[in-house]
Amino acid sequence: MKKRIPLLICAVLGIFMIVQFFIPHSLSQRFFDHSFKWYIAIAGFAWILGAGSLIKHHTDRIRRKKKRWYFSIVTLTGLTVMAVLGIFWGIRTGTLFMTFYMNIILPLGAAMYAILAFYMASAAYRAFRARSKEATVLLIAGFVVMLGMVPFGDFIWSKIPEIAEWLLSVPNTAAKRGIIFGVALGSVSTALKIILGIERSWLGGGG
Amino acid sequence: MNIFKALTKIPRQVIYVVIALAVMIPLLKPIGLPIRVMSKSQQLFAAIDSLGPQSNPVLISVDFDPQSMPELYPMLVAVLRHCFARDIKVIVMALWPQGSGLAEMALDVIPKEFNKEYGKDFAFLGYKFGVTAILLGMGDNIKGVFPVDYHGTPLDSIEITADLQNYDDLSLVITLSAGDPGWRAWLLFAQARYSARVGIGVTAVSAADVYPYVETGQVVGLLAGMKGASEYEILVHEHGYSEGKRTAAQGMDAQSLGHLVIMVFIIIGNIGYFVTRRKK
Repeated sequence: MKKRIPLLICAVLGIFMIVQFFIPHSLSQRFFDHSFKWYIAIAGFAWILGAGSLIKHHTDRIRRKKKRWYFSIVTLTGLTVMAVLGIFWGIRTGTLFMTFYMNIILPLGAAMYAILAFYMASAAYRAFRARSKEATVLLIAGFVVMLGMVPFGDFIWSKIPEIAEWLLSVPNTAAKRGIIFGVALGSVSTALKIILGIERSWLGGGG
Repeated sequence: MNIFKALTKIPRQVIYVVIALAVMIPLLKPIGLPIRVMSKSQQLFAAIDSLGPQSNPVLISVDFDPQSMPELYPMLVAVLRHCFARDIKVIVMALWPQGSGLAEMALDVIPKEFNKEYGKDFAFLGYKFGVTAILLGMGDNIKGVFPVDYHGTPLDSIEITADLQNYDDLSLVITLSAGDPGWRAWLLFAQARYSARVGIGVTAVSAADVYPYVETGQVVGLLAGMKGASEYEILVHEHGYSEGKRTAAQGMDAQSLGHLVIMVFIIIGNIGYFVTRRKK
């Protein structure tokens, strides 16, 4: 019973949602509207779950004095301060929340992303070796696209941006489409397996 | 140590310093490399340029966070400037929680450059959770999904949103997207199901993923990375729509040199690798 009821709900609603998608009738639309409101309400709980698990994880780290536990204090302080400021004083321009957002979160986020340039340069230098024919093709294509993505490529040879665009539009698109079809068919079959109760791992405790 | 062996083992600290210099020097002393506008950016520009004051509003979805700001924020600014210069009404929303702060930041500044008024010329719906439900819901009833705007005002009492029903009442949807939820969701739900016209701006690393959809004609135009942003800034500038600061165009010299340095290191590494392999 513990498993049958969720399986039944999943199967009935799954089939209803598929049928609804193809029927442009007011009844079908009303069903969608209702399910949409339910979805929003249920999805809201994900935030509670997320915040709860974050707090639990970091309080645990602090209590057990795990390696670099003091960073967990920073995380929890940040979470608490921003949540309190946002909930009680709002998130509009001019509030303390927005001041913190503009002066702490924005520069920190941008700095995090900027650091990637250094890691990528170092990783590309060490990993990008023309060890085989395939790796050589990849290397050349990568070079052309990298050059095509900056004005310097056009400066070296005016055809480089066009070749880069061709690489993205033709070989890249061909490969991507194959992957997209594969993923789409895989998604459909997985969804059907879940709706029909063949795939049950989402109930917990393995398939 | 053999010199060629040394070429394969350059300390990472050296790479970091060279990259830092390659990025910083052009920012301090710009080279001014010319930027050629590519067709995908031109297409998005043309799509917006064909609209006017009588057209339905353009919806811009700010689907990124501060980490992707250097690439995507200049796109937001340039597209807003283009729309306001052509007196096109703009509605802004966000699928990322941090996107609403970035949108607010742009909307605090750009409309003032063109003397645009909130409610009459633009509106901000803010962020809402639940991407699938949001985008499918908007296909039926936008006000059902966003009953009030970011400031808590009912959409019915805002001039540009009062008659808004669904995607049919929007000229164009532009998603500036750094990942999921973002362009994929807009294509899947707004474009494929409700035939909304969708333009996309993405980070350079995501551009290759969008190309298959550009080729099918599902995407009106594509801005790829900082280069796409700089191309749009140039188009807006060349058409005399704005004299405002062009941050992406300024960053292109630094990116050019950064790419070049990475390629030089890859070539050096490969030379070392091949020579040492041959000796073995």
